[in-house]
Amino acid sequence: MRIEISRLTKTYKGGVRALDGLDLDVPTGMYGLLGSNGAGKTTLMRILAGLLRPTSGTVRVGGHDITAADGRLAVQRTLGYLPQSLGVYPDLTARQFLDYIALLKGLDSRPSRRRRIGELLETVALTPDADRRLKGFSGGMLRRVGIAQALLADPRLLVVDEPTTGLDPEERIRFRILLSRLAGDRTVLLSTHIVEDVAQTCRSLAVLDKGRLVFRGEVGELVSRAERRVWTLTTSGPAPSQGRIVAALPEGAGTRYRVITPTAPGPSAQPAEPTLEDGYLALMEPGR
Amino acid sequence: MIATFRYEFRMQIRRPVLWIVYGLTFAVTVAGFGHTYLDLNLGGDEGREPRPAMIVSAILLTSLLPIVYGCLLADRLVRDRRLGMTDVLDTTPAGRTGRLAGKYLGVCAATAVPLVLAYLGRAAAYAVTEGEPAALGWAAVILVTTVVPALLFVGALALAGPLLMPPLLFRVLFVVYWFWGNIIPATMMPTLSHSILSANSQYVAYGLLGFGHYRELPPNVILPPGGIVYGPWPGAALNFLRPEASPAVALLWIGVMIALAAAVLLLARLHTARTES
Repeated sequence: MRIEISRLTKTYKGGVRALDGLDLDVPTGMYGLLGSNGAGKTTLMRILAGLLRPTSGTVRVGGHDITAADGRLAVQRTLGYLPQSLGVYPDLTARQFLDYIALLKGLDSRPSRRRRIGELLETVALTPDADRRLKGFSGGMLRRVGIAQALLADPRLLVVDEPTTGLDPEERIRFRILLSRLAGDRTVLLSTHIVEDVAQTCRSLAVLDKGRLVFRGEVGELVSRAERRVWTLTTSGPAPSQGRIVAALPEGAGTRYRVITPTAPGPSAQPAEPTLEDGYLALMEPGR
Repeated sequence: MIATFRYEFRMQIRRPVLWIVYGLTFAVTVAGFGHTYLDLNLGGDEGREPRPAMIVSAILLTSLLPIVYGCLLADRLVRDRRLGMTDVLDTTPAGRTGRLAGKYLGVCAATAVPLVLAYLGRAAAYAVTEGEPAALGWAAVILVTTVVPALLFVGALALAGPLLMPPLLFRVLFVVYWFWGNIIPATMMPTLSHSILSANSQYVAYGLLGFGHYRELPPNVILPPGGIVYGPWPGAALNFLRPEASPAVALLWIGVMIALAAAVLLLARLHTARTES
């Protein structure tokens, strides 16, 4: 399911412009959306989910114009959405919660609804906890309930907003693997400020900064933005003053620095292989 | 709407606080009204007939318990936002209007269950002890014509009010409103008590069910000065809202309660639409 965004602008009451003339095409498959806090990612996600109306511009999802009521409804029938802060009814069990959302999504047949909920509980590894009340679930388990509810109607478009925030490393890895498995023939739009999540799951991505699109393309292209600009330097003296330090690791009597800068930050500096995070930081460098 | 009704009903009926608060209030009411509340033979000598007995029972039931009913409903509409559920719910194809209707009917029905059980339980006890099975029929009629319209209005008010203020403040103001607008005698101050706008009015009892024909009444039942005609209070303000009871006025009262409930829900729906960005 293709997403076509053209000249999209969202200005909130009070004049805060969260999105500023955004143009973006998102193809089928897993797609990452990177940006710092306040870059406009959540605003874009909420517009795609039909929760916010854009101030101007057009958004077409699978050919449907989501700025129109009927288009929004058509998209919502094929949409799975995991918001940044997922709420649940704490007194319902996981199975009951999913049953309720399934009914709201129009899964009226009880046998097929039960079967679908059973499959999804299995997918997110919550079958043993299915009949426990949600108030006893950990953050990671609630995230898995969230992804299960998003998948109930077998959506063609899955929008997940900061899904791994607050998860422990094990849960984060489990969640990434789950998302990658789900991509298949559907569009999964993963919004995050955690670069590693995109590095591990997406081939293509876009980067937002202050409501504007500053990059779109393959992960490798973004990595290449930092080529010949990443250095490591071990010193027991002061930290390098040139460039942007992205890591500092104590090593013996000194400290090993990882620095992004166009030229070597010191005589003993060694060039290093860039990562996606380096590429992202190079892109976001002031005065790039 | 049906899905929301089912799950909102289920979540509300399982709340321990629902049963605890009703139980405590019922205990306090029994302690306060004592003999009158427990006496199954309500309505004095003529009240051995099931109809006035069930009417008085309903009057007693709807004097204070609607306060509990309203307070227990006060957080139900705003809690979706508090729990962070609105985004998930709003991205389903189920429309907000249908969900609001389902939530309203579901939580109101669940919150009314202890109240209805208390009323029907009393009717059943009366039917058995007095050998009057008709009491159950009258109880059902009174429930539908007197109690349900009042609860529909109170329920809408209690759901929508906290959209404008914190639920705790709403509960305080609701208790004040209930006593001012439904309980205090009309001569004490300008009030909606005993008027066509009061959820606690007895227009159906007097206008449709002939309650005025039963002269002997328990001493704790407040009646307008001057007797059994339900209507204007001599010397009271706002008497234009207190027409004399008749079948037409009784039906009007039912219509007013339902219309007020619908209007409040419409305002709540418009409010939620306005908060959409």
